Amino acid sequence: MLTNHDFSSLVIDTLCDRAREQGFIVTCFYCDFTAQNEQSPASVLGGILKQVVSGLKEIPKEVMQAFEDQKRAIGGRGLRLPEIVKMLQTISSSWHTFICIDALDECAPEYRVRLLGSLRDIIQKSTGAKVFLTGRPHIRDEIEKRLGGRTLSLLISPNEDDIIKYLRARLEEDTTPEAMDDSLETDVLKGIPESVSEMYVRGRIRGSLP
Amino acid sequence: MSQFFSDNINSFNISNSFTTVDQRSEILAWLSPLEPRLRHQDIRTRRVDDVGDWLLQTDQFRNWCDVTGQDEFDKAVLFCYGNPGVGKTHMR
Repeated sequence: MLTNHDFSSLVIDTLCDRAREQGFIVTCFYCDFTAQNEQSPASVLGGILKQVVSGLKEIPKEVMQAFEDQKRAIGGRGLRLPEIVKMLQTISSSWHTFICIDALDECAPEYRVRLLGSLRDIIQKSTGAKVFLTGRPHIRDEIEKRLGGRTLSLLISPNEDDIIKYLRARLEEDTTPEAMDDSLETDVLKGIPESVSEMYVRGRIRGSLP
Repeated sequence: MSQFFSDNINSFNISNSFTTVDQRSEILAWLSPLEPRLRHQDIRTRRVDDVGDWLLQTDQFRNWCDVTGQDEFDKAVLFCYGNPGVGKTHMR
């Protein structure tokens, strides 16, 4: 299947390739409907902060300090959301930092509100932070409202080329290639993209695609 | 700027004198127990090559990921929205 995750992973890989040349940090998080309870804003951004820190040669002193301080608490304790946001603001002001979060629609709505608020706080205080998000169309208004005017929205849908490349790759993996001859393959490659794009257009007109 | 970066995340042996390899791992684990990059690895290995490359050529993507611009009011956020699984029943 072609999904938003595929587009996310493509963008993340592309950024990682450039990061080596241009010296910036790339972080990612994939939201997952089945893990909603564990994916609180602190947990998502904590996962992002961990990747930021692991990309640096030296542990930033703010992080060291917080780590030492928490040891004094009984049983130790993790960072709270405001502390995580502050550290991300500080670090991304010194190093360009890409924060990629996939499938925001799979994040629980009450968590998403706070996550978007935290991302807004980060980009407001830091000129080095860039945020990449994906999600279904129904959260577009929410994202544009919460992140203010610094959001570019872009519709992604597989184009005909994508569908053909995808089908070719799958046909090559076919375990019963003897059932496929050239004319059937041509029909498949021609017919399916047409019906998919028709379906897609109809779906968009009705606004009824999931 | 780039001298601050390790070439890969495993080059812990050159961490500074204040953090040992163990302490560094301990701090990273304390920051988060999650390993979001594992999910990325899983998704990227199943991705079909070149699919979606047009996205990388759009003006929106190019402008957004350009870190050389000094304009602090530029677009910091790129939101890509779409319907996952378009053509699901056809392409399984």
